[in-house]
Amino acid sequence: MGQITATLGKTIKEFIRQKTILFWTIAWPILWVLIGSFSFTGDAPSEVVSYIKGSIAISMSVFALMTAGIANLPGNIAQDRERGLLSKLMSMPINPWRDFVGRILALLAFSSLAAILVTLVGYGCGARFSYSLISLLQSIGFLLLVSLASAGIGMLIGTFIKHVHGAIMSGVGIAVVTAAISGVMAPFSSLPWILQQFARIYPISSANSSITCLVVGEGYAGYNPLTASQTTFTIVISLLLFFAGLITYSRFCWRKE
Amino acid sequence: MNLKIIEGEFYALMGPNGSGKTTLASIIASVRFPTSGKIEIYGKEPENAKELIGYVPQENFSSPILTGEENLMYFAGLLGYPKNAAQKIVNEILNKIGLSKDANKRVSDYSGGMRKRLEVATALFPNIKILILDEPTTGLDPSARRKFLSLIQELRKEKATVLLITHIGADAELASRVGLIDEGEIIAEDEPEKLKKASGLKDVMNIETAIKSEDIAKILSRFSEKKKVLETDVGYRVYCKDVEEVTPEIVRSLDAIGCKVTKIETERPSLEDVFFKLTEKMVREVS
Repeated sequence: MGQITATLGKTIKEFIRQKTILFWTIAWPILWVLIGSFSFTGDAPSEVVSYIKGSIAISMSVFALMTAGIANLPGNIAQDRERGLLSKLMSMPINPWRDFVGRILALLAFSSLAAILVTLVGYGCGARFSYSLISLLQSIGFLLLVSLASAGIGMLIGTFIKHVHGAIMSGVGIAVVTAAISGVMAPFSSLPWILQQFARIYPISSANSSITCLVVGEGYAGYNPLTASQTTFTIVISLLLFFAGLITYSRFCWRKE
Repeated sequence: MNLKIIEGEFYALMGPNGSGKTTLASIIASVRFPTSGKIEIYGKEPENAKELIGYVPQENFSSPILTGEENLMYFAGLLGYPKNAAQKIVNEILNKIGLSKDANKRVSDYSGGMRKRLEVATALFPNIKILILDEPTTGLDPSARRKFLSLIQELRKEKATVLLITHIGADAELASRVGLIDEGEIIAEDEPEKLKKASGLKDVMNIETAIKSEDIAKILSRFSEKKKVLETDVGYRVYCKDVEEVTPEIVRSLDAIGCKVTKIETERPSLEDVFFKLTEKMVREVS
């Protein structure tokens, strides 16, 4: 066993065994898929309803990835620091980068599981998608960007908010509020102009719209986010957030006084 | 500070909160940088000797939602043991610390003593030569503390080098050598019995009174060596040269101010008394 697999195994077990994490990452998005699928489809024609349900399932899958990165990861980091595990690890012949890779792999594995479950529930509720192999692969790329951007934000929170509950609640708050105001939890067209601009630059909602556009249709995303400029911007901002979080985490969480 | 710990030695560093014990332990364990000075572990700087050190911080760092075995397997993985070898070593360690039967229970279901033993177990992997235990018995009930200390005694038989950080005199007495630390300086260092002898303290009287007050302490100080009286949870400790001679006088004096003595007993001085004699400070705060 290496450091990466040890950290990966431990972190996944901790994610799976904590009710709060399971609620916010899996139960909450599934609840919204159920509510959304049966309440928010309005009097749309039946051939459209299944695609509306598809866009809801995608948004909630993205929300699951967001919560995993923005709330669960900082909670896990803060917990390890608060109970002295980071001090213990610093005394051991351990490479902080491997610890980081283990945590991120655990996050990706857990959030993928959450996204798959949410999508399956959506499918069970009648959600339908329209995609090709290329658009599916592109969507997976955008999902990865959501995870990276979320993990970046999560590491920033986990580094600077020392208290476990503070870190988790700040993460949940940021995830819920930004999802609500950026079109992840509400249709883009219903947002006021200023929030529509925010939705275009917030990489998570931009990626969410891009996936919706790719596997459901542009009409369901509310606008075309797949322009070269917006896609490049989404990739750059996601990577910037990820590396900002990574550098902050490795510098400050593992810093010797 | 100048401190030398010999290979195979059980060294206890004893002092009150804020005396610098934990800071020193964390510097040796490479968790902190020293502001000045130098530390060598088998001729290496702490940063390059991490594989030799098993550091057990004060906090309960094990994951409560993992089982005892899962926690140890995690540390085995971090140390780079292949899965099969890790499982074998973990089983041996669990056996050694007496947690084999509870290995598959979640740590949240462990008692404080079991959890502490598990955490010490993270420092028992092969190749670790020095154990640094930071206040390991703090918060343990007397029975868990006894069990824990017998584990440390067992480790001592295996010739492990142990650095025990503590503010409890009875724990420090198990060590082969004790350093008393105050304000970042080692003020005395020797075998426990020699430290007690060198302090010149003879008998210590434990006096329990119905009430505690400054006046009582003042009266008792008249009978105590160098006029030093230690206030304890239940009364006072008075350092006497001749117990038999002063006991009736103490009772009379306290009686005169209306203070009822509920219990008087005599015992040998402890390391905490030695520390008090040297510094006029208590190692432990009176609750």
